[in-house]
Amino acid sequence: MPAPKHILIVDDEAVILDLLAEVLTLAGHRVSQAATVAAARKVLADGRPDLVITDLQLEQSDGLALLAEVKAAHPDLPTLLLTGVLFDEETVEARLRDKVSAYLPKTTPLKFIVAEVARLLG
Amino acid sequence: MSSPDLTFRRLLACLIVVAVVLLGVVALALRNEGRAVAAADWVNHTHALRAEAAGILSSLREAEGALRTYLLTGDPRDQADYRAAFSDLAEHVDVAKALARPAPADASQIARLEERLVKRADLARELIRVRQGGAPEELRALLAADAGGEAVREIGRRVDRFREEQAQLLTERDRAAYLQAQTTRWTVLCALVLDLLLLAGAAWLIRDDLQARRRAAAALRLANEQLESRVRERTAELSAANTALKAQSLEDRWARLALEHQLHYNHLIIDAVSELAIVVTKNLNISRINPAVGHLSGLAAAALVDRPLAALVKLAGAAASDDLLARALKEGRDLREQSAVLTDSAGRHHSLVLNFFPLRDSDKVVGGVVTLRLPPAPAA
Repeated sequence: MPAPKHILIVDDEAVILDLLAEVLTLAGHRVSQAATVAAARKVLADGRPDLVITDLQLEQSDGLALLAEVKAAHPDLPTLLLTGVLFDEETVEARLRDKVSAYLPKTTPLKFIVAEVARLLG
Repeated sequence: MSSPDLTFRRLLACLIVVAVVLLGVVALALRNEGRAVAAADWVNHTHALRAEAAGILSSLREAEGALRTYLLTGDPRDQADYRAAFSDLAEHVDVAKALARPAPADASQIARLEERLVKRADLARELIRVRQGGAPEELRALLAADAGGEAVREIGRRVDRFREEQAQLLTERDRAAYLQAQTTRWTVLCALVLDLLLLAGAAWLIRDDLQARRRAAAALRLANEQLESRVRERTAELSAANTALKAQSLEDRWARLALEHQLHYNHLIIDAVSELAIVVTKNLNISRINPAVGHLSGLAAAALVDRPLAALVKLAGAAASDDLLARALKEGRDLREQSAVLTDSAGRHHSLVLNFFPLRDSDKVVGGVVTLRLPPAPAA
């Protein structure tokens, strides 16, 4: 049985963090939660995760800035922007494609989020 | 399938019958053994009686001969012979009487025979007395009276008849013993066959019961396996249903959170803008305002919701501003940069610039959004 993949989730809403952690743990992954960018940096410093999932609107910074830091440190680390801000396809292609591996609005059903996570983890 | 109790009762009945038959055979054997012993005793007794009868006759003839010899010779040695012969005769008679005592008919015949022998003995004593008395004429007369030995022959006939009767009894006893032996043989054989049949029946019952128990055990094992299989299937179904239910529950929670998050986000955006924003229904009644409307009008949302837009805002210089907005709403088109007047709670009028945007739900217009802003300040 393969070792579970390590996923870092960053979101300033505790209920979102808890629910995503529960779902991804049930899917067989090991999950670290961070409510702030500082907490996310600490998790990243402790070890490279296999995937980073982040919200866009954060308290101290924003998700895209955090992902820029991640990409600088780990260029091949997959990232997922999961946010309540709805972007159309054109905006995603124009503004996000180079910054994140994938984008999903929070209105996406969980089963598709889990499937996208599985795809990103290979 | 017979119950274990019924099988046990049947087996017990078979074994009881077998035991009863065996006990009957044993009782019959014991009874026959007693009869055989008694028959052997009787046969020996009868043969002894016949032998004694024959002894009586031979002793009589021997005594008669010795007596005649003595009467002729007068020799004391011949006298000793006839005395010995009569003594043997008396002994045979005594033995025969003793043997015949248990059977009254035989005893009666022996008694009658003894009477005749006593007469012969009396005659012999008389002859000897006359011989020793020296009276030859008298002796001759006595011997002439006994000429021919008819009395002795009569005794002989009686003895022979008695012996024939005893022989006949022996023959009848042999026949009865043979019939008894045959009956016993057939009885034992029948009992043996009956026991064998009963034991075979008991064996069949045991075999049938064992087969029934094996069938019941196999059926029970099969039922248990089927039950376990059904339990496993049902457990798997319940587990799958539980997993699906849990997934659906999480999905529902996620959807609700996403919706609340989205609504909250949209409200934040609307509330953050400085322009006045009023949402109207298809009837141009107010359904929602942003805080900027409340600040300028001095009216809370509770005072404005479900009131006509015209009660708060009117297009400036237009006699029928409602008609203009109503037409734009009906036609689903924007209305841009229109001068309008808002009347606040104190009755003051505020000149504003109005924009109207129809609200679309798919291909239907279900209401509109009115935005109001202060007109640009005139150039100095």
